[in-house]
Amino acid sequence: MRRLAAFSLIAVATALAASSQSILIRNATVLTVTKGSIQNGSVLIENGKIAAIGKNVSAPADATVVDATGRYLMPGIIDCHSHTAIEGGINEGSVSDSSMVNIKDVINPYDINIYRALAGGLTVSNVLHGSANAIGGQTVVIKLRWGKTAQEMLFDGAKPGIKFALGENPKRQGYPQESFFTQGQVVERRYPGTRMGVEEVIRESFTEAKNYQAEWKDYENRVERGEHPIPPRKDLRLDPLVEVLEGKRYVHAHCYRADEILMLLRVANEMGFKIRTLQHVLEGYKVAKEIAAHGAGASTFSDWWSYKIEAYDATPYNAAIMARKGVVVSLNSDSDELQRHLNLEAAKVMRYGGLSETEALAMVTINPAKQLGIDETVGSIEVGKSADLVLFDKHPLDNFSKVEKVWIDGHQYFDREKDLETRPAFEQKKKALEEKLKPAAQRPARGQGGSNPTAEAIQ
Amino acid sequence: MRYGSINAAVLTIAATCAVAMQAEVPSAIAIKDAHVVTVSGADLPRGTVLLRDGLIEEVGVNIAVPADAWVIDGSGLTVYPGFIDALSTWGIPSGAPQASANRPTGGAPTTPAPAAQTQPEPRAHGPEDRPQTYSFERAADLVNPSESRIEAARAAGFTTSATFPNRGIFEGLGAMIDLAGTRGRDMVVVQPVGQQIVFRLGPSGFGRTFPTSLMGNIAYVRQLFLDLNQYRQAKQIYDAHPGGNRRPEYDHDLEGLAESPRILLPADEAQQIDRMLSFGQELKVPFVVYGMHEAYRRIDELKQAGVPVLVSLKWPEKPKNADPAEQQDYRQLEMQTQAPAVPGMLAKAGVKFAFYSDGVDNAADLKKAVKKAIDAGISRADAIKALTLNAAEIYGAGDRLGSIEKGKIANLVMTKGEAFEDKTTVEYVFIDGKEFEPSKDLQKEPANRGEPKQPAISGDRGAN
Amino acid sequence: MKSAHLLAISLICLAPALLAGGDDNSVLIRNVVIHPVTSPDIPNGSVLVIDGKIAEVGMKVSARGGARVVDGHGLHLYPGLINAATNVGLAEIGALRDTVDLDEIGPFNPELRAEIAFNPSSEHIAVTRASGITSVITLPGSGARGGRGGPAPVITGQGALMHLDGWTWEQMAVKPGAVMDMLFPQIGGGSSRYAAVSGGQAPSFEEQEKQYREQLKRIGEFFEEARRYERAKNAGLADFQRDVRLEAMLPVIDGKQPLFMRAERERMIKDSVEFAEKEKVKIIIADPHEIGRTGPLLKEHNIPVVLGKTFELPMHDDDPYDAPYTLPNEFYKAGVEICFGTFDVEFARNVPFEAAQAVAFGLPHDIALKALTINSAEVLGAGDRIGSIEKGKSADLILTDGDPMQARTTIKQMFIAGREVSLESRHTREYEKWLARP
Repeated sequence: MRRLAAFSLIAVATALAASSQSILIRNATVLTVTKGSIQNGSVLIENGKIAAIGKNVSAPADATVVDATGRYLMPGIIDCHSHTAIEGGINEGSVSDSSMVNIKDVINPYDINIYRALAGGLTVSNVLHGSANAIGGQTVVIKLRWGKTAQEMLFDGAKPGIKFALGENPKRQGYPQESFFTQGQVVERRYPGTRMGVEEVIRESFTEAKNYQAEWKDYENRVERGEHPIPPRKDLRLDPLVEVLEGKRYVHAHCYRADEILMLLRVANEMGFKIRTLQHVLEGYKVAKEIAAHGAGASTFSDWWSYKIEAYDATPYNAAIMARKGVVVSLNSDSDELQRHLNLEAAKVMRYGGLSETEALAMVTINPAKQLGIDETVGSIEVGKSADLVLFDKHPLDNFSKVEKVWIDGHQYFDREKDLETRPAFEQKKKALEEKLKPAAQRPARGQGGSNPTAEAIQ
Repeated sequence: MRYGSINAAVLTIAATCAVAMQAEVPSAIAIKDAHVVTVSGADLPRGTVLLRDGLIEEVGVNIAVPADAWVIDGSGLTVYPGFIDALSTWGIPSGAPQASANRPTGGAPTTPAPAAQTQPEPRAHGPEDRPQTYSFERAADLVNPSESRIEAARAAGFTTSATFPNRGIFEGLGAMIDLAGTRGRDMVVVQPVGQQIVFRLGPSGFGRTFPTSLMGNIAYVRQLFLDLNQYRQAKQIYDAHPGGNRRPEYDHDLEGLAESPRILLPADEAQQIDRMLSFGQELKVPFVVYGMHEAYRRIDELKQAGVPVLVSLKWPEKPKNADPAEQQDYRQLEMQTQAPAVPGMLAKAGVKFAFYSDGVDNAADLKKAVKKAIDAGISRADAIKALTLNAAEIYGAGDRLGSIEKGKIANLVMTKGEAFEDKTTVEYVFIDGKEFEPSKDLQKEPANRGEPKQPAISGDRGAN
Repeated sequence: MKSAHLLAISLICLAPALLAGGDDNSVLIRNVVIHPVTSPDIPNGSVLVIDGKIAEVGMKVSARGGARVVDGHGLHLYPGLINAATNVGLAEIGALRDTVDLDEIGPFNPELRAEIAFNPSSEHIAVTRASGITSVITLPGSGARGGRGGPAPVITGQGALMHLDGWTWEQMAVKPGAVMDMLFPQIGGGSSRYAAVSGGQAPSFEEQEKQYREQLKRIGEFFEEARRYERAKNAGLADFQRDVRLEAMLPVIDGKQPLFMRAERERMIKDSVEFAEKEKVKIIIADPHEIGRTGPLLKEHNIPVVLGKTFELPMHDDDPYDAPYTLPNEFYKAGVEICFGTFDVEFARNVPFEAAQAVAFGLPHDIALKALTINSAEVLGAGDRIGSIEKGKSADLILTDGDPMQARTTIKQMFIAGREVSLESRHTREYEKWLARP
């Protein structure tokens, strides 16, 4: 499917958006995640929302019927930690606090990894800045509406976030070594170089943010009193931190070790803000109690470990322990590859810690939805929620399963059959382009004016 | 008495200049019996153009040739307004070769940080350090008529360029310059015409100086405009209420930015076009977008935005040194085939656009690049218009440049054959009414061009 | 909490002593579904293990020789899985170079032997076992082609087939020198799959091709040197002097030890086969990322393939989204014998899932299971000793509650050479310990 089909899909999607086409997915095993499973169940989609669920669902006569006999329907998968679709660098690594940068500015809707992830059942991604700095950039939640523009991919109503990072990654530039990134140049050290310094950066930035907040309040008060003060400088770095303090922006904090997790929770308490999610949080199992008490979610890997020293105490049982201790846990990808099969990552928590199928599925659906504050509309199959649905040929926790169809807001964005069908045409179209680009000598003679690709380009 | 003597001195200087001018340029030139493409009006199949004192004095069919005029027989030749490079570094000696020629495939139209910086700058702590702001630099102060690429540009029929300094993210104030003169100041036609913004990325978003990522670049630009608004507001409030307020600090960077009548934003691929259209609107300043190789996907949006557009003449091609066994991606192939069709599509949609050289600095390549757009669907007339009047109008210089009209600056090009055809040669170029006979050698293919090996840009060509 | 911790530690220390030591390697596993892999499944059968070897397999087998009895009611018995490409035992923490013994300096290191640096105390051993893997190939090279400033690596040393249990590496080595790890050169040098889009001036393709041919020539010369060495040795020349490096090449040039040829791209595979023909050596194609038109060629020359991860991204934007998922089946359909490897350390345990993903996208299930067991054993020259449940073979067995390719399946018990092996690991210990945190 890829490019070619993507464009034809745009047409389809637009057509669907214009009409209020109903879709009935019939006779599937419906894994609602929050309300149990329904054998031979049906789901009716109307106006992009789930209108009815059950064994017997009546649909309008003109509804498109999808026969899903023997298939499994689950909510669209949600990834709480992604770097897909970011153009021009996922890190603004030059500064210790890069809160002035915003992932929303650089979403690339043409990143093929969006489509590849969609083909694995992913419908929502929390697209994060990298982990090069203690306070990283602003983050954004997208729906994988392949074929649409960056603006159209934004998850309407999802609260924006900001990335924090603790431990080895943000302190690494404090003792730069010869690496791929330095490309043979001597790199100046960047503060911080220790975990203590990481804490200090966060504390300092929030202290500044509070001063800044006060400065603006003072200005506003003076204006109100009829004075003519000069407005303070608007600071793109401090604005998002003020939003964090005011609860308007979520903090997603990359972390590994128990000590730094605890440190962050304490700094947040002291400064008066909440950590929305701890990301990776590989030693979260050691401080699960404290995480639960703070109310932070944990977004972790299924089984990553040992790639660096702060990942050496990791255990794939992490998710299970944290879940058992009352933490809302999700499984994330942090990877263009892994995001293609988060359902199979979820299957691993059944092996490592004996969680149930529903608990496992929740970790890639409703739990990340809760963490991102979007569980009102996505994350489970419930009436009234957005029709973000994935149809599998087998149970999604079965390692032999694969995705057949994916809907977002009731629009079908992936269809394996169509993907397979359009491959030859795509190849042909590509060959035709290659032919066109051959040097003139190898091409048929140019007529007057030459070939005119305009018409084709407009199509 | 003091005043009188000064007046006398001025008069003396003026007289000296006038004498010097007369010695170089005949007071009048008449181009007779040429095919005149006025651009602003109808073509004259057999017309006369009269130039005097650097201006077009008259253009028409039945024009009496003044007795003092030098006459050029234009029969068999075509006269066009001089071509304008709408975004250039021509004229700035350190500008060659234009760095954006190294644009990475598929990326934003970005340029690597200036090479060979001998003194590493201290690490910037954030946008407030403004490490890449040169908003105050003026192309008008940097241009030099002996710059090495100018002669090749004239040989391609270019008489004028919108030249911008090229370092930093805020590159400085551009100037519309004529590509001839005795001193730099002779070249300047209009200044400032705008501020070019270039996004400069470090490796993988890591680097010493903020910003290194695309999002960092965007935040950087956004912050500077916020600062500008605050600066203006602060000055206004202070002027009205000096008592009780601290005096706003004079800000060199922001003064440069404030002076700029428009900004130029880079956008090559479709998502970059989307991004820059909304960014430009957010900044609430007049803006122009440049690059445009994938604009075939965004014609409607560009039309709707009503924003002028600059199309790079450096058409995308298969990367040199690529393994022939490696396939290119569909999107790249599409861009390579479709980019030259963009001008035609823009013309058809009524989007105002002009061309820019983007590092294509030799006459043969410039000619071929325009020809490629013509082959891909734009009419010759529209291509000429994009290279002349449109470019002038985009920079607010349409009242003095860009067409063959009475009273405009006498910048003309005369060709044997229709412009941009393979066999066509540029016979004369007039700049400020002064005649140049472009070198025929410079119009030939560079001799050392072994087919695929030679890079598309040949920066040293003009030095010969 | 402290006592719990201590208890855990003492358990760890005791576990190998109890299970691996002594003579406790005779056992009767009965009442299980047996998946011998090389013969049809037995729905309800028994396997008798005597002295570490499989003594009998069948419907009715009675205990003897003092074997203890394991009742496997409702469970499945599979041969232990084999990961045919890892660096387990040679690397502990990826980012800490001091814990990594991979990629020795210099282009030709045939004399290096992976098994001698195999750390029997590596935490990765137990972690890998947890997925039912009883043997791995451990390779001395990571596959990195850079050379880190020196010449690009070509022969990184000999990979060893290792049991994932034992007191010492000697005990664990099933087959030292199972393969000779070699990186087939590539036009352009660096890893093609992750080819850096550098803004720098790349040499022209012609130049790159020239360098490639020069490198091939140097490799040819090295092989020729080994051959002359062998002739000199066989001739018993008076001034013959032993050479450690060249001596190590003799099994390769004699066709006894296969080259584990890392060849990611189509052209590399094709050129590898040509190279093998010319040099008359045995090769295994390792970590191919595409098949191109090489299928018939590999089949014709009877060259097996050790596949890398199935969970990969397609190489090009335009490739089908499932290209890496269907690749194993492409090789299988072409008639090529396949095995699975992961070419890493910490994810070596996920090799059954790599195979499973291939099954989801078309690879027949029984082939996937063979690829994880008997194929690897055969390709690595130990087909007579491991890889299936057959009489006379080493009793490398796993008792599971389901298909080992399913993540939902639990591995209940494991036997390596008849010894019951603990399925505990650093991971389970942390789990037990911290779950109990008040």
